Amino acid sequence: MNECAENRNKIALKTFPRCRCYANAAWRHVTRLARHMTRRPRLARFPPHPKQADMAADYGERWSLLGEEHEDPLADGQAARGPGRPMSAICDPGHLLHRVVVLVFMCFLGFGSYFCYDNPAALQTQVLQDLNLNTAKFMQLYAWYSWPNVVLCFFGGFLLDRVFGIRLGTIIFSLFVCVGQVIFASGALLNHFWLMEVGRFVFGIGGESLAVAQNTYAVNWFKGKELNLVFGLQLSMARLGSTVNMNIMGWVYSKVADLVGSPGHTTLGASLMIASVTCLFSLICALVLGFLDKRAEKILQKEEGKTGEVIKLTDVKDFPLPLWLIFLICVGYYVAIFPFIGLGQLFFIEKFNFSPAEARAVNSIVYIISAPASPVLGFMVDKVGRNVVWVITAVVTTLAAHMMLAFTFWNPWIAMSLLGVSYSLLACALWPMVAFVVPEHQLGTAYGFMQSIQNLGLALIAMAAGAILDNKGYLVLEVFFCACICVALVAAVMLYFVDYVRGGDLNLSASARAKLQKEATSDAEIKKRPGKLTEGDLARFAPMSPCGLRNRYLSRLAAQIPDHCSTHLSSLARRSVLK
Amino acid sequence: MAAAAVQMNRGVSFLILVSVLTSCRSSFTRQLSIQLNPGSPLPPPDGDLLHVRAVGDNDTLHFLFCSQGAPALLLVHTNSSSSAVQVDWPLFLASNTSGGLHVEPESSVMSSAAVVFSRLLEYDDVNNTADPTSDLFPPYELRDVAWSRLNLSGLTAQLCGAVGGGLLCLQLSVFESEGRGQSWPRLTHTANSSQLGVWLDGVSPRAARSRFLLELQAVGGAYPLSRVEVRRSIDDEYMPSIFKVSQWVSSANGSSDVQSFVQWKPVAYRRADPALEDATPCRHSDPRPQSGEAVLAASALIRAFYSEPDTFGLNMSFGLAGESFYNSTGFLSWTLLVGVGSPPVDSFSPLVVAIMAVGLGTPIILLLLGGFWVCVRRREVDSTAAAYEPIN
Repeated sequence: MNECAENRNKIALKTFPRCRCYANAAWRHVTRLARHMTRRPRLARFPPHPKQADMAADYGERWSLLGEEHEDPLADGQAARGPGRPMSAICDPGHLLHRVVVLVFMCFLGFGSYFCYDNPAALQTQVLQDLNLNTAKFMQLYAWYSWPNVVLCFFGGFLLDRVFGIRLGTIIFSLFVCVGQVIFASGALLNHFWLMEVGRFVFGIGGESLAVAQNTYAVNWFKGKELNLVFGLQLSMARLGSTVNMNIMGWVYSKVADLVGSPGHTTLGASLMIASVTCLFSLICALVLGFLDKRAEKILQKEEGKTGEVIKLTDVKDFPLPLWLIFLICVGYYVAIFPFIGLGQLFFIEKFNFSPAEARAVNSIVYIISAPASPVLGFMVDKVGRNVVWVITAVVTTLAAHMMLAFTFWNPWIAMSLLGVSYSLLACALWPMVAFVVPEHQLGTAYGFMQSIQNLGLALIAMAAGAILDNKGYLVLEVFFCACICVALVAAVMLYFVDYVRGGDLNLSASARAKLQKEATSDAEIKKRPGKLTEGDLARFAPMSPCGLRNRYLSRLAAQIPDHCSTHLSSLARRSVLK
Repeated sequence: MAAAAVQMNRGVSFLILVSVLTSCRSSFTRQLSIQLNPGSPLPPPDGDLLHVRAVGDNDTLHFLFCSQGAPALLLVHTNSSSSAVQVDWPLFLASNTSGGLHVEPESSVMSSAAVVFSRLLEYDDVNNTADPTSDLFPPYELRDVAWSRLNLSGLTAQLCGAVGGGLLCLQLSVFESEGRGQSWPRLTHTANSSQLGVWLDGVSPRAARSRFLLELQAVGGAYPLSRVEVRRSIDDEYMPSIFKVSQWVSSANGSSDVQSFVQWKPVAYRRADPALEDATPCRHSDPRPQSGEAVLAASALIRAFYSEPDTFGLNMSFGLAGESFYNSTGFLSWTLLVGVGSPPVDSFSPLVVAIMAVGLGTPIILLLLGGFWVCVRRREVDSTAAAYEPIN
């Protein structure tokens, strides 16, 4: 891929090598992203086969059909600025160095929202004490974050594409995040809990959609280049935000307490205000990104990025049974993770006699582990296949971890590390399965629906968890979480059998999948070869934007041309998946 | 974990077993009879003496609760179901020699133990460290408090005294059978134990950052209550977020058999009708031997029953560093259990057992059924395939 980028200047426009280079890059892109999403076994993957080159050539031809406007951006850039106006590398939107600068802003775009999302968990004792809350009320802070996203999961992409545009949209969502956090902090300052809830609601409106925007930017700037690396970095940044928050907010609070003189709601409010600086920082990043993107658009004559997300709610009635089971696994599993982390700090302090700092550290270990574990486990799941078995393994491991926490006094580092690994494994194995069971044009709807249900579950369970803890204690709470995971386990076991009965391909091994793919691609080849592109294909082809084409091209190399073009990447960039 | 492992295999039958076990355990009961100032023609002037006689199958427990001087609870365990308490009222009221109260027959006494609430201490926690060694105010001597009459209702008796402009109250509950307290900390009790609730209501603090300590003296017969064990328990179902239980026990030298005990959860409450956020942790100092004279002087009941008591004392301090001060609510309540034999142990509630049994049982049953069905199906497919083989 790098080689591709370096050589690009030397290669003439519209020549095969460049296109093949693109295709290769695209191919690598797909393989690496495959763990996250789009592997339709018969379609998505090239077999490691000489035909690959032919295919690339084929696509090269199609690529060239589109003419000048979607040529290599760099070449365009060169054309636009001409030889007389040399631009330093850092200012040149086509240059790698400039993209690195953009990447920095892109990574910090989401930092604020990730940092502030878990503020309540990091300051659990302080929030409870300073505002004299019970746990049920405390968990409302998480519930209020989830409520707007029950609906917004469907509309985030639409708002970005059709209403605001990516630049304005990003700024607006950052503004929501920032304003939400400031309201949240003011609520603490003034000791009005309802104001804090309002703040979390506003924060929630921005937070999840901002992740979609961040991702769209990434696709727009790094498509076909360093995209996987960029996704990886954004992911690490998200986890860094959560981890830093978990481990630093207690310290910030104690420093503020020293300044103010005593702990209390003023101290809490001031600490949260300090946390909101990260959101302000992210807002500045959004503004800078908007400016740079606009500038790049002018210079490179590229177009604004789109999420390409298509949501059609009527598709829901066509969802097959396995998809509903996947939804059930998703809800049952994640509701036992996030609310638990929200309540974790006090649990470790009270049950295991941890110091607050140690409790925060063990609480953040899940995030720390999942950062390196996700790519490794993703690779492993990719190589082995058999997603359902992996899902069952992950769910059983999580169940074991929760039971350890519930019924033993064993060191919680063991259980939490286990939780971190199994959590990463589940994310790697579960989310791609959606792409196996629904047709491509419904993927956006399926992912949107999945996240909507997940958020609904999170909101409800967060409230229930708080109430259970207040009245019945941690043992019953842990047993409740175990029960949620058992629901996920039942769904996973049913999924295994349903898939078996239907002869589905969810649980195929990687080699079996490759075989299927090979057959499918050769079938497709045979069908396509004689007539090259038919009139119908051309008709469907013509109105598409270069971006749309590229998206489709990248994500479905051997696919038939779909009704909608969509990468569905944005669906995967939500907090729920990234975290 | 072990329990959970058992549930996996048994499912519903295990549940039935649990309920059977529960019903077996709760079958042990005592016949209670309550008497205020037994044998006294008039209510004694300086405080009441309550006698609860708890008759079991072949033993009797005598609970004696007295407010002459510092409030004290005396527990006498006898091995006869006909033992009785005799009070020599003139001697008892004179309160200068022992012998004012004895249990007959003398030989039936197996063990005895008493708890005396001797002093209430207050300190100014300027630096919010909850370290009670400094800045102690002059203590409230509870032997000098004017106690109200004992207020009996059912199996409980309540006693209040004016302390520092507010009230210090004690409530004794005795039980016929095993059960659990209605309000937090919901201690498990058996017929062999009684529960004492202590609360401070509206005592005006002498500093802006007041914390309180309660001094307890334990008096033992043959074996004094000499050590406090802190047991960890994974079960916090009845007292959310408290995973410890402390028990102050007496035991024969070198033996692990507990003769009598005082048990509590290290938690106090800052409101009369507490929610979880009103809980405040408490801490005990190590029990230290005390002079017998002081405790004899403090309580008429101890003076009347014991001649040379073996005494250990400890302080319960309420609130830890960083916790709210007494001033925030002006209320503090704490509960302890006093009994003979082994202290009660919490067990998983049927709710927990049922959820885990169903939760773990369902996927396993599903897996077994599914596996079985898949095997059958595969065999069918094989057999049909075999049938077609010759044709192909």
